[in-house]
Amino acid sequence: MKILHLYHDIMNLYGEYANVSALERMLEKSGVKFTTDKLTLFDNADLGDYDFIYIGSGTEKNQKLVLEDFRKYKDFLVEYINSGKVILMTGNSFEMLGKTITDADGKVYDGLGIYDFTVTEQNKRRITGDIVYTADFLTKPIVGFVNKCSEIKGIENHLFTVNHGLGDFENAKTEGLRNKNLFATHVTGPIMIKNPHFLEYIALQISKNTDGFKPCTDYLDYERAGYEITLGELTKRFEE
Amino acid sequence: MKKLFTIIVCKVLKFVGGLLGKGSSLPGQIALKLCPDILGQIELPKYIVAVTGSNGKTSTVEMIAHILCESGKKVAWNKEGSNQIEGVTTLILGSCTLSGKVKADILLIESDERFAKYTFKYITPTHYVITNLYRDQLTRNGHPEWVYNAVKESIHPETQLILNADDPLVSCFGYGKDNVVWFGAGNLPTDTKEFVGVYNDGAYCPHCKSPMTYSSYHYDHIGVYECKNCGFKRQDTSYTVTSADLEKGEITINDKYKIELTLKSLYNVYNLLAAFTVASIAGVDGDTIAKSLSNYVLKNFRVVTFTLGNRKGTLVTSKHENSISYNQSLKLAASDKEKCDVLIIVDAVSRKYFTSDVSWLWDINFDILKSDNVKNIVLAGTYCNDLATRFSFSKVDKSKIKVIKDIEEAVDYLNNDSKEKIYVITCFSDKGKFLEKVKVD
Repeated sequence: MKILHLYHDIMNLYGEYANVSALERMLEKSGVKFTTDKLTLFDNADLGDYDFIYIGSGTEKNQKLVLEDFRKYKDFLVEYINSGKVILMTGNSFEMLGKTITDADGKVYDGLGIYDFTVTEQNKRRITGDIVYTADFLTKPIVGFVNKCSEIKGIENHLFTVNHGLGDFENAKTEGLRNKNLFATHVTGPIMIKNPHFLEYIALQISKNTDGFKPCTDYLDYERAGYEITLGELTKRFEE
Repeated sequence: MKKLFTIIVCKVLKFVGGLLGKGSSLPGQIALKLCPDILGQIELPKYIVAVTGSNGKTSTVEMIAHILCESGKKVAWNKEGSNQIEGVTTLILGSCTLSGKVKADILLIESDERFAKYTFKYITPTHYVITNLYRDQLTRNGHPEWVYNAVKESIHPETQLILNADDPLVSCFGYGKDNVVWFGAGNLPTDTKEFVGVYNDGAYCPHCKSPMTYSSYHYDHIGVYECKNCGFKRQDTSYTVTSADLEKGEITINDKYKIELTLKSLYNVYNLLAAFTVASIAGVDGDTIAKSLSNYVLKNFRVVTFTLGNRKGTLVTSKHENSISYNQSLKLAASDKEKCDVLIIVDAVSRKYFTSDVSWLWDINFDILKSDNVKNIVLAGTYCNDLATRFSFSKVDKSKIKVIKDIEEAVDYLNNDSKEKIYVITCFSDKGKFLEKVKVD
């Protein structure tokens, strides 16, 4: 099994490296041998070699820098996604997959153009807040936090339905993007630690492409207890 | 007339508020409603010193005020720490005459980093200290570059910048300017060649974004850095910590001025150095400053000693959502010569606002507690499970960890006959919940 943590040292806000740690822990517990490659700008990864790819959030400036480097992967990435392999992109990293990103000064950057959405940033106000989302593939809600300065318009296949908090744009009822096993969301922080059921689902998708990987899930007591408390706190708060 | 009326209203409200023990931002807030450009109509002193940054503002400002007052200067400053435009307005109108002249030699302003651009729209500081830009309260602040952009808008071209040379992002404010006063640390015995921590915010040049190299790190990404691509590098400093013996609790500034420390943390040394720098620029001689700062106990001292049954303990207030501050608190416990138990409480993330976000726990380097002197670690509060999960990914021995959600039960658990000292690491939001259950010394 091979994991790729791409742009690990520059798209590294909000402790999101722990998304990779969460999967690594599960592979250990499941007795699966694996290696993790941490690659960054100017490296060359052969995406097809990997079973799971992760990219996290960065500053607006770092995202633009990474975008230029990321272009070289476009065709390989399309192939990777179409083959049904698993990739998780969180925060503003997945904005790179769309048609354009317009920054606060009005400068337009071409995205990879794999999807038709457009992104518009502003620099007046940080858009942040706790969230509760649901998804039809999960039995329990997702809890977490969004920390961004952009709006996204034109996503067709959303990942989550917004119960509480911020969506793709102001008052949007949906959030993120899903295509096969591409999971893309603006939920920042280690979403796979905070939501052990989401980790289980991701692991299940990976296991479908991997012989001999039966996800072990009986060690997640603290994660589950932490999740229940946060869900309770958020539900109380949002329903006040 | 409007000016006089506004000044009087602000003074009266401040007086009444003081009697009622109310915060210091309301009088200024009302004054700004009555007369939005009131700050532009006040005659300010010759020296206006502003201090901003993620960490250490309050301590730095308090030490500057202490030195200047001791050396006979009259200082007007925001003692109460209300550091947005409303609090600063209360400060200024509270210390001016009815004709609108501030009665002080020096106006000293602690300013919130994100809102400095509003405060300094009407006031042009003569000197502006920027201490550091760290990941701090990211649920509001976004990230350090976002804060950098906000602070940048608050800087007037004629202002003398006083910058921490060891913080690359702060140094960016002085890029291409030749009139900056730099402060920083020289080679210290605790320096490392390799980066120590969970994330390195100095990995890329903040100016051109090429990979940056460090010849040494003081702590986290604070150190001696250079970008081989654009030439951006740590600047030579005029005010330098030339030696530091943290075990003994003594530092030397500019090879000459010895200062004894009450808080033996390098992190606090930077606040002290910033205060030394400002006082020197204001004309106080080095020996007088060193004397003022030696063994000075901060009024806003964040360390409280207590007794629990037969046990002695120290509570270290550590900002939640601020990994660099938190790491320093962990280091205090881990570097103690005595054996200790450590209690960590995360019950409310912030005292000012609600959030359930604990992503900041993953930016903290809890491996620091993998130290022989640390015996038991108790994790408590609403988010104890998140703490336990985080610790399960650290190098700390699992057998040392005990999870007790209820703070009172955690205190009872520690109230035993052990000889070890207790360190309590928690935030402003939660420290009262612990201190009410013990005897504060």
